[in-house]
Amino acid sequence: MNNKDINAIMHIAVEAGRIILENGGETYRVEDTINRICTAFGVRRAESFVTPTGIMMSVTAIDGSTFSTVKRIQIRTVNLEKICKVNELSRNIHKYANSMDEIIKILEEIDNTPRYSNTKTIFFSALAAGFFTLLMGGAIQDFFVALINGFFIKSTNIYLKNLRINEFFINIVGGALAMLLSLILNQLGLVVKFDGLVIGSIMLLVPGLAITNAIRDTIAGDLVSGLARAIEAFLVAIGIAIGSGMILGFWISTFGGVH
Amino acid sequence: MLQETLYSMLATLGFAIIFNIRGKNILYASLGGALAWFSYLLFQKLNFSISAANFMASIIIGIYSEVMARINKAPVTVYVVCSLIPLVPGGGMYYTMFESITGSLDKALRLGVETISSAGALAIGVLLISSISRLLSQANQKRKSY
Repeated sequence: MNNKDINAIMHIAVEAGRIILENGGETYRVEDTINRICTAFGVRRAESFVTPTGIMMSVTAIDGSTFSTVKRIQIRTVNLEKICKVNELSRNIHKYANSMDEIIKILEEIDNTPRYSNTKTIFFSALAAGFFTLLMGGAIQDFFVALINGFFIKSTNIYLKNLRINEFFINIVGGALAMLLSLILNQLGLVVKFDGLVIGSIMLLVPGLAITNAIRDTIAGDLVSGLARAIEAFLVAIGIAIGSGMILGFWISTFGGVH
Repeated sequence: MLQETLYSMLATLGFAIIFNIRGKNILYASLGGALAWFSYLLFQKLNFSISAANFMASIIIGIYSEVMARINKAPVTVYVVCSLIPLVPGGGMYYTMFESITGSLDKALRLGVETISSAGALAIGVLLISSISRLLSQANQKRKSY
C-alpha cells in the first residue's frame, strides 16, 4: 500500500464520519465508522478524536510514517436516514474492500439523499404541534389553532436555518413567535386552553436529539462531546424560555394579563 | 388514556418526518412515542411521582429501541430520539417560565426543580438501558472470540 492509497482511505473515512456527525449521529459511531473503514482497507493503525464541531484523525502506515487530517464541522442538522445508510455501509464495508471508487460513489449518493420537501416537513410539524396541544390537555378547537402556530414556527425555523444563524438565536425567535401567535389568537377568542396551546407549540423546538446524544456520548466515554451536547440542549431550552418569556412579559405589562 | 396514546403516536409521527426518517422505521418510531406516553400514564396511575413515571417510561422505550435496532439493524438513535420526544418536559419548562415572569419566584423554583428532575430521570432511564445493552453486546463479542 503506497502513501497515495493511505491518503485516499483517510479521506473516505473522514467523509463518512462527516456525514454521520453533521446529521446528528453520536460521537462513538463516527469514531467506530472511521476505524472500520480504515481497518477494512488494511491500514494498520488509525486513531480519531471526534467532537461535535470537528474530526481529527491520524493514520500510521506500515513504514511508520504518519498522516493526519482535520475536518471542521460547521453545519449540524438532523437527518437520521443518512445515518442509517452510512451505518449500513460501515456494517458491510468488507464487501467493498477492494474498490475505493465504489465507496466514494456510495458516500456521495448518501450525502445527496434528499430530505422530505419543505412543504411536507412544515405540514407534519403543524400536525405535531396540533397533537401535542391535544396531549397537553387542549380542546379540539385548540388543535386547529396549533396547526397555524406550527406552520409559522416551522417556516420561520427553516428560513432562519438557511441563513445560517446560530441555534441559540433561532430558538429565541421560535419561542417568541410561539408565544406571540398564541397570545394574539387567544385575544381573538379562538383558544380554549392557552397553556396547552403554548406548550404544544414550543414542543416543536425542544432539543430532543441533543439530550439523547448527550446521554449516549457520556455513556460511551466521550466526555467532551457529552458535555458539549448537554450544554447545547440546555442553551436551546434557555433560548426558548427567553424568547417566550420576553413576549409574555411585554404582553402582561402592556395589556395587564392573559385572559 | 388510549386517546392520549394515539395523540402521542401521531405527534411522534410528525417528528419522525422532521428528523427525516424513511420507510417502515417511521411506523416503529411512532409506536415508540405511543409506548412512551402510555407507560408514562400507566405508572402515574400506579401512584408513581412524575419523575418516577418519567424514569420508568424512559426505561421502557430504551428497551423497545434497543430491541427494534437489533431487529431492523438500524442505529438505536433513530428510535430513541423520536420516542423520547413526548416525554421531554415542555410543560414544566413553560410553567417555570410563566411563574418567573408573573413574579411568583418560589413557585417558579419548585417547578424548575421538578422539570430538571424529570429531565434527569429521563436521561438516567435511557442511560441505564444503553449501559446494560453495551454490557450484553460486549459479553457476546467475548464469547464469539474465544
